Amino acid sequence: MSFPLSYEDKKRAVLLLIVAVVLAWVGIDAASGGAEHWQRVFARLPLLLTGSGSGWPVEGGFALNILLSIASMALATLIGLILGLSTLARSAIIRLPALAVMNFLRNSPWLVLLFAMLYILPFEMRIFGVSVSFPPFVKAVIGLALPTGANLSEVIRGAVQSIHSGQWEAARSLGYTTGQIYRYVIMPQALRRMIPGWMNLYALLMIATALATVTGIQDVLTILSTSLAMESERVIVYFYLTILFLFFAYCYPIAVFARRLERAVKGDNL
Amino acid sequence: MFGLDYSWLADPAYQQWLLTGVINTLKLAALSSSAAILIGLLGALGLTLRIFWLDALIELFVEVFRNTPPLLQMLFAYFTLSTLGLKVTDPSTGLSVPLLSAFACASISLSLFGGALAIETFRSGIESMPRSIIEAARSLGYGRWARFWRIEAPIATRICLPGLTNILTNLFKTTSQASVITVPELMYYAGQIYNDTFRTLEMMILLLFIYVVLVSIITFAMARLEAFMAFPGYGKGH
Repeated sequence: MSFPLSYEDKKRAVLLLIVAVVLAWVGIDAASGGAEHWQRVFARLPLLLTGSGSGWPVEGGFALNILLSIASMALATLIGLILGLSTLARSAIIRLPALAVMNFLRNSPWLVLLFAMLYILPFEMRIFGVSVSFPPFVKAVIGLALPTGANLSEVIRGAVQSIHSGQWEAARSLGYTTGQIYRYVIMPQALRRMIPGWMNLYALLMIATALATVTGIQDVLTILSTSLAMESERVIVYFYLTILFLFFAYCYPIAVFARRLERAVKGDNL
Repeated sequence: MFGLDYSWLADPAYQQWLLTGVINTLKLAALSSSAAILIGLLGALGLTLRIFWLDALIELFVEVFRNTPPLLQMLFAYFTLSTLGLKVTDPSTGLSVPLLSAFACASISLSLFGGALAIETFRSGIESMPRSIIEAARSLGYGRWARFWRIEAPIATRICLPGLTNILTNLFKTTSQASVITVPELMYYAGQIYNDTFRTLEMMILLLFIYVVLVSIITFAMARLEAFMAFPGYGKGH
């Protein structure tokens, strides 16, 4: 670090100062009677993180939120790919329904979609003679994957459309079929531009997993509202702060990294 | 059709509930959207001043609100402001009631959440303004204010409009989460109705339909506004 400090350095110093003030406040608060509150939070931290009092086995809590976000993202990627490529299809029979579905999913609130999946999906369904059961966790995965997939399809569409049309023309003149053009020419380039959007969506999805508390799975918010109901009102504030911090600590690095990638990818217009 | 039964919709009580719910949702959305835009403008303006501590504070605000769940923010606001927060004694009953209702807490937390998104959008809008335009204006002899009002602001507004549409629809959709802290909006009444009638599937389909229609109206209006304001070279004017 060189003196005089640059603008960015000064800004970073202020941010550090704010963190220091918050830590100092926590310290002062702990010294003036808040310590027992924090002790209660620490005693319950394994419960919040893994859903079981001793920390093992993992039964829920924040770990379940992470698991839910990963499972939903996997499904959403599949949905998004199918939906995104369908909205790019040249035939209107495929494109228009795909656009309608995408707009419908994008325009409805996540919470309502989650509730809808909760009630619309049956407990068990027979598909081709195989009975598939839908426990609340699976319903939550589907409910969260639908809007994420619709948003992802937009990311995919944008990335594919951002590839210069010259690439299409060149590939077509070389005799490639549409499938081959996608596989060998467009997708390898578009994939690179999709990654920041995909990561941003993952951070958004992780944040949205807090909604899954309405399905009754033992996620971190459900545990907070049920298992900790006997805690005093004032302690609950400390619990809320802890959970807010957990989400922040998980999502912030992802969002920052996505933004950095976005900046790196931006401008490589071939 | 499909065995769906919407006969309960004929009940005036349920109609009244749905109507109240829609009105409350619209109120909440309108209130928090306007507050969010205001916060966004102030924040983005603050960022252009290039004061390092203000910059750091705004950045922290944006990152915290963007990277934590709005539902949790709302619960936290409700809990600290309403349950533990300021209380007033109701003179008629002598009970102490929270000064801020669930509705107030929801609008406050939604405003802050939307405001954080708006700051980010407006900032990137201002940043994406081509430097050559400012230089051209300066070379034409525009003063600082004239340049801002006649050149920068009109262009920035147009650049920001698509992002603003996103914020408004996002905020509108997030209002449904206020039902969790017992704000009597659309989602809340929907829950009441299907608890009453057990027509869950029908209610959900109707609810999704209402939300999609309302959000589509916002998107449509914003698209019209964009088209109306378009000028060659920017946004829709391409």
